Formats: sequence, structure tokens, C-alpha cells
Amino acid sequence: MSKPSDLIQGTLDLLILKTVSLEPVHGWAIAKRIQQMSNEVLQVQQGSLYPALHRLEQQGWIEAATRETESGRVARFYSLTPDGKKQLEKELGQWQRLSAAVGLVVNQA
Amino acid sequence: MRWFRIVRLRLRSLLQRDRLETQLRQELDFHIAEQTAEFIAQGMAEPAAALAARRLFGSAAVHAESCRDARRTRWAEDLFADLRYAARRLAASPAFTLAAVATLALGAGANLAFFSAAWAVLIRPLPYPEPDRLVQVETGIAGVGPVLSLRELSSAADYAGYLPDTEVTVQLAGEALRLPAAAATANLLRVLGVAPAQGRWFRPSEEHAGQHRVVVLSHRAWRERFAADPHILGRILSLDEEPFTIIGVMPAGYAFPSAATELWFPIRVNPANRGYMWGGQNLQALGRLRPGLALAAAQAELRPIADRIRPQFPWRMPDAWGTSSAAVPYRDVRVRDARPKLLALAAASLLLLLIACANVANLLVAQGIRRGREFTIREAIGAGRGRLFRQLAAENLLLAALGAAAALLAALLLLRLLPLVLPELPPGAGPGLDPYAASAVCLALFGIFALLTFLPIRRGPTHRSLRLTTGLTALQLALATALLIGAGLMTRTLSQLANVDAGVQANSVLTASVTAGPSRCGTPARCGAFVREMSAALAAIPGVKSVNWANGIPLVPEIRAMTVDMEDHPRAPEAPAYALWHSIVTPGYFAALGIPLRAGRLFTEADHAGAEPVAIISESTARRFWPNRSALGKRIRPVSGRADRVVVGVVADVAQYSLTGFPSWVDGAQYLPLEQVMPGSAQAVDFSLLLEGNGLSAGMWQAALRRQFPDVAIAHVATIREVRDASVADRRSTAWLLALLSALGLLLGTVGVYGVLQQRAAQRSKEIGIRLALGAGPGRIAAAVLREALWVSLAGAAAGIAAALGLARILESLLYGVSTSDPVAFFVAPGLLVLTALLAALVPGLRAARLDPVQTLRAE
Repeated sequence: MSKPSDLIQGTLDLLILKTVSLEPVHGWAIAKRIQQMSNEVLQVQQGSLYPALHRLEQQGWIEAATRETESGRVARFYSLTPDGKKQLEKELGQWQRLSAAVGLVVNQA
Repeated sequence: MRWFRIVRLRLRSLLQRDRLETQLRQELDFHIAEQTAEFIAQGMAEPAAALAARRLFGSAAVHAESCRDARRTRWAEDLFADLRYAARRLAASPAFTLAAVATLALGAGANLAFFSAAWAVLIRPLPYPEPDRLVQVETGIAGVGPVLSLRELSSAADYAGYLPDTEVTVQLAGEALRLPAAAATANLLRVLGVAPAQGRWFRPSEEHAGQHRVVVLSHRAWRERFAADPHILGRILSLDEEPFTIIGVMPAGYAFPSAATELWFPIRVNPANRGYMWGGQNLQALGRLRPGLALAAAQAELRPIADRIRPQFPWRMPDAWGTSSAAVPYRDVRVRDARPKLLALAAASLLLLLIACANVANLLVAQGIRRGREFTIREAIGAGRGRLFRQLAAENLLLAALGAAAALLAALLLLRLLPLVLPELPPGAGPGLDPYAASAVCLALFGIFALLTFLPIRRGPTHRSLRLTTGLTALQLALATALLIGAGLMTRTLSQLANVDAGVQANSVLTASVTAGPSRCGTPARCGAFVREMSAALAAIPGVKSVNWANGIPLVPEIRAMTVDMEDHPRAPEAPAYALWHSIVTPGYFAALGIPLRAGRLFTEADHAGAEPVAIISESTARRFWPNRSALGKRIRPVSGRADRVVVGVVADVAQYSLTGFPSWVDGAQYLPLEQVMPGSAQAVDFSLLLEGNGLSAGMWQAALRRQFPDVAIAHVATIREVRDASVADRRSTAWLLALLSALGLLLGTVGVYGVLQQRAAQRSKEIGIRLALGAGPGRIAAAVLREALWVSLAGAAAGIAAALGLARILESLLYGVSTSDPVAFFVAPGLLVLTALLAALVPGLRAARLDPVQTLRAE
């Protein structure tokens, strides 16, 4: 298993927003899911996920609710707010423009 | 919506910290537990799995802290923590806190109170619409006829006339009362721009004699004299024995010409009454500038108008009449008397505030030096400079808040006391704490303390902070010197005034004003009978030694003058006549007041109406008009054309008008016998009663008179001594307040000197120890400390003398008998300051001299 790539600055927010947009999930599941969906390429520094979550919550993009998990433990489940949905679309658009541009440059070279 | 959510989140962050902390811990624990569970599922042993999960997670404490940072409310939490810490610190050094807060309360509180008072009197807009457009005509056109003509002729302003400072006898509930009243023209309310609260004001037709019997009440008179009677309109009120119909009540705030005025009635125009129209009535002209015109326009038209009014007089007026008429903003007229005093006090209290601030700054620097070690340690264990700065700021702001609160309390207290010493303040409610001044002072305090945070406070005792404290102390001493000199000038003025010989020896003579209506004094003969009747009634009261009458009381500043020609002093037809102060007295007047006769004789019973008209003049009048000659037998001829009077006596000078002398236009003083100039008038006649006696109780003789003369009003009862004291009350209150302010200033300055020297000596204890060890005597050590105090206080005193010259200029109009650069005040006050500073330095000096060199050197 090669060393997982560090996340590009600012993309963690996008990944979190995308992850929680599907269904309400707790922090550990977000970390797991980002890892799985990126075929183990992207690995979130587990601890640094939480400050990001709290920041996004404070910015009003996501909201948290405390619920029991299937295993019977209490966890905080995050979900997207209507504002967060707009923010996600904005950031997705930006990301696509950026990656397309980077792709263009890289492919031509 | 997002903003709403964010605000809610921030509030939650602030208010539910404990719950958030629990949630955060649960959330992080949950993550690690899940990870551990996964590792166990992958086949790891339990303790190893837990350890691996923790390792993977990283430092939970650091992440938790980052999460807390994400809440964006750290600054507030820090602030609370800082404030809590600051409160504990302030509580831990109560002496420092108390000193600082008390200093601020004194300095800022006094300042706030005086500025509120100054604002209320000098700056607060008059309660009339567009008050800046109100002008008063001064030193010229005045009187009923002239002002009515001015009203007709003026194109620059709408002029109304009013007669200020009049009193009227009102018959109320069987008692004759003298109430402050004002006669006015019908257009006064239009000029002022106000309307009655009930009923109406006078109509123009009611300005004419015969239709004039209507009266408007002040709100206070309506409430207090008539118990707020709802059916007051139409009631009949007896004013000077004439029935007047009450036609209106003014609104509560209306206070023209003064807040004390209770009644207004129309002037009574009657062309046949030449005396009323063109003579004695001092009707003032108050105007409202017409739209678009400035004060200059009103001023420009006054002289041409005066030229047109002059020929209207029934007698020939001097060409100079009316030429010095000046249109003055009405506001300036109102505040003229109070201005110098309030400005002086405001300036003085500003100096005190500066002293207080310098003192607190000094305390803070000293505190900072003491805490240098603490700050060094805290910096060493990782506190950022910004963090330390924030904490200092929190301490200073807390101190400022305490100081501001204490200052507000002190100001409220002072404002209660101020009307007792400052009679110029609007009576009734007195000035409230001005919200603008209060916020300004609080803001200033916070600003000053925020700045003080930048003082070099972290680095322990440095030369910079020492220079700063020395400088601040010198500044304090300079300001205190200025205050002391100001107080010294006023005190000198008071003592000069106390030494003025008023010419009146009898301090216990009772004086009162007695007013009789036309039924008593309609003709001179009836009036004479009334005076004799009343004298007899008074003389019958046990204890009464003598009863005398006059047209005024010495040192009550009412103008009583007449224009005359003096024998041996011919004047050109157009030259102004001489103005003599004239006192009308009964024969016993001079004996009762202890006024010595210098030449000739006093009045006797033989100087009655049928005898030759006689006069007595004052010593200085005799000297001025007939130097080196006897004034006896010389003649004085009234310009009004009445018979000549022969001078039969010369008496010592009396301060009839004021301790500072007569108005400058008065050329001399004469006395006339009452019997020869007995008044007789269709209006009320005012007498001054002088009562000499033993153990007279005011209540008793007044009650006796009231029974016998229920229609006669008796008012203003006071002894001659009280009259004299009242005449200098203004200066006395200024002197007292300045003395108080300067005493506070000196106290604060002394505390400053003591504190700085104490701190300096403590810091130099090593040097002192070495010097003592090397054989310097204790005397030399103490002398060194004292020398320092001497230099600081000399520098402060020198700067203070310069500042005092400015303060003295503001005080100038209140001074009497001393110059603004009075050498006594300018020498004694700085001397007192230097002496006090040296006394304050004595304690640290002696303490330094008694240092044990072994101990100090070992301590290092």
C-alpha cells in the first residue's frame, strides 16, 4: 500500500460536503467513506477531520444531530443544510474548472 | 437564514460551553472506539487495538483545541477569563484599586458635574424655536414709548417689549404676597414662538390702559397657588388692588424672562401718562430676526431708528440718546453673569481630571514595575506578547469601568449639591447629568486607559518608565499649582471684599421690603399718613428701638439714580447731566445704620414737605464737586425741573450699590428726606423698612403688621449683615469651589510625589546601600531624596505658574482688589506646593536613610 496522497489544500471541505450530502453520517464514517470511495488513495488525517467538521458547522454549511448508531453508541450525525447544498454546488463547479484546467495543462505537456 | 443560523451557533458556543465540551469529548471518544472496534475485527488484540486507534487519531487534546477554535468565540472566552483574572487581581490589591477608582471618581465626577452645569446654563439651546434668531436691544432704546416705536419702525426684526424683574402684590387667601411678574407687549409670544397651555395670551387691544386688566399665570403658579384649579380661566385676581381676569396658563417649561416669573400682564399704553411712556419704565426690546436677515441687519437699523425716536420724547433728549444701542443675541444676555464663573470652574475641574489621570497613570506604571517579574515569568512559559497585552487591556478596562461608574455616582451627588452654591443654575429641577457629557467622559476614560496599556509596563523598572513617572508627577504638580493660584486669587478677592468698609456699622438692623397699594399711597399725603401709621404700629412692638424707611437697602444692587445739575459746574446744553445715586430716607436712617456725619447736619422732623428742599451728600461727592470748599449751602437741581435742593450735610461714604463701588456712570451720592419726596402713585409703592431692635422675632412683628395691614406685602426680610453676605455670594461660592478643587488637586499631587519617590528609593536601595556602606551619612541620603522632590516640584510649580496666568484671565471679572498676576497668590501657592511636596518626600527620604546596608546588599 503506497503512502496515501496528502489532500490538496481546501479540498477536504469539498470532500466532507460531498460525503454528508448523501445521507446523515458521523465523523468516523466520513473518514472511512472518503477513503473507500477514493479507492484508498485519499486518506483523511483522522484527527484533523473534526476541526474541519466543526468549522463547516459554524459556517452554517452542515448541521449536526446526536443520535444512537446501530451499535448502540451515541454519535453526532452531520447532514447538509440548504445553504450547504448551494455551497457544495459552488465548490464542485470550482473544483471541476480547476481540475479540467490542470488536466489540460498536464495532458498537453 | 444562514446569518440567523450562525448567530444561533455563536450564542450556543458562548452560553452552552459545558454541553458542547461533553459533546466534543463524546464525539472524539466515539471515533476512537469505532476505530478500535475495526482493528479488533481485523484481528488485533484489545489493548493494542486501542493504542493503534489512538495513534492513528493523533493528539486528541490538540484536535479538541482546534475544534474549539472553530467555534470562533475564543476571543470572548478569553475576554471573560481575562476579566475574571483582572477582577481577582484588583481585589487582591485593594489599596491600589481603591486609590485609582477614588481618584477617577473625584476627577471625572467633578468634571462631569461642572460640565453638565455649564452645558445647562451656557450651551443648552433656549426652549424656543430657532433661539438663535432672538435678539435683545441693549444700552440704548428702552422704555415703553421707545420700544413701541421700535416695534413699529423696525424692518429687520419683530420686536416685543417686556419689563423684567418686577414684582406685583397679589391678594391671595387674605394675605398680600409679592410675586415675581413681568409686563409685556401682546406680540411677545409670537416673538418667542410659544403658545399658552390653557386659554390665551393678551390681544393687541389689551395693551391700552383701561383694557389691560388681564393676566396669564405660569404653570407653577397655577399648580401651587391655585391647586391646579381646572376652572381657573375667568377667575378674578387682585393685582396691586386692581381686579385682573385670568385669561391663560403657560406651559410648564416656559420661563421668560426668568424661571421664577409667575404672572404676565400687558403693558398699559396711555399717551397722557408721559412718565409711564417715556420715563421710569425700563421696558426691554426683545426681537426675532425676520427670515433671511442676520444680526448685523438688526444692528444696522438701530441708530437710524434711534434718531427717529429721539424727537418723539415729550422733552428734549440729548443727541447721544440711543446711539449706543446694540442688538445682542438673547442667549448672550441670559448667560452673561454666569459665564466667567462656570468657565472658570469647568476649566478648574478639567485640570483636576488631568491630575487624576496622571495619578492613575502613575499608579499603573508603579504597578507595572512591581509586576515586571510576573510578566517575565509568564512570557518565559509561553504567553504571547499579544496575549499579555490583551490581559493588561482587560485589567485597565475593568478599572476604567469601575472608575466611570464611581464618577457617574460622584457626579450625580455633586449635581445635587451644586444648586446650593451656584444660584445661576436654572432653578427648580436643576441641571441633570448631561447624557452627552456622561458618555464623553466614560469614553474618554476608556480611551485613556486603553492608551495606558501601551505604557512600558512589561520590562520591569527601566529608565523610561521612571522618567515617565517623574514627568507625570511634575505635570500633576503643575496643574495643582494652577488650581492653587486660582483659588488663591479668589480667596484674596474675598478677603479684600471683607475688608471693604461698606460704611454701614450696624449689622443687626433688620431690613424688609414693604409694598403698599394705591389705596394707601395714592397721594403723597395719604402715603405719608400710612408711613407714620405703620411706624407707630412697629414702634409699639416690644423690643423695637427704631423704625426707619428708605427707598432701598445698601448693597442690594438695584439702580436708584437721578440726573441733576450741580452748582459751580455749568454744562454745555448738549453735555450729559450728572447722575447722582439717590437714597430717600427718614431722619433716623443715618443713626440706625451708623453712618457718621462729616459736616453740617442730618435730616430732622423739620425737613417736611412744606420746608425748604434739602439734601445730604456723601463725602466723596463733596470732595469731587467742591474740593477745598464747603459743600454746605450748594445747590443741586434735578434735570426734571423740580425745585433746587440745598446741601445741608455731608456724611461718610456708603456702599449703596455694591462693595466694588457704584456703576461707572454714577457721579456721586445724595440723600433726600422722605417727607419731601413722599411718593404718591396709582400703582404699588415699594419701601425699604429698617428695623432696629433687640430679640425681634421675624414671625412676631410680621404677624402683628399683617393683622393691622392685611393688604400690605412684606417680603425679603434679612439683616444688613445677610444682605452684605448675599452681595458677595457669587464670589464666595466660586472661591469655595476653587479651593475645594485645588485642595483635591494638591492632595492627588502629593500622593503622586510620595508614590514616585517611594518607588524610586526602593529601586535605588542597592545604590543607597553601597553609599551607606562607603560611609555616606543618613542625612546625605535623605537629602538626596529630598533634592529630587525639590527639583520635580520646582519644575511643576514653574509650569503651573504659566498655566495659572490663563486661568486667571478667565477669573478676571470675578476678581476685586487683586490683579490677575497678584504676587501674593503667585508666590504663596507655588510655595505651598513645593513645601507640601517636600513634606511628602520626607517619609521615603527618612526610610532610605534608615536602610541597613548589609541587608540591602545581601538581598541583591
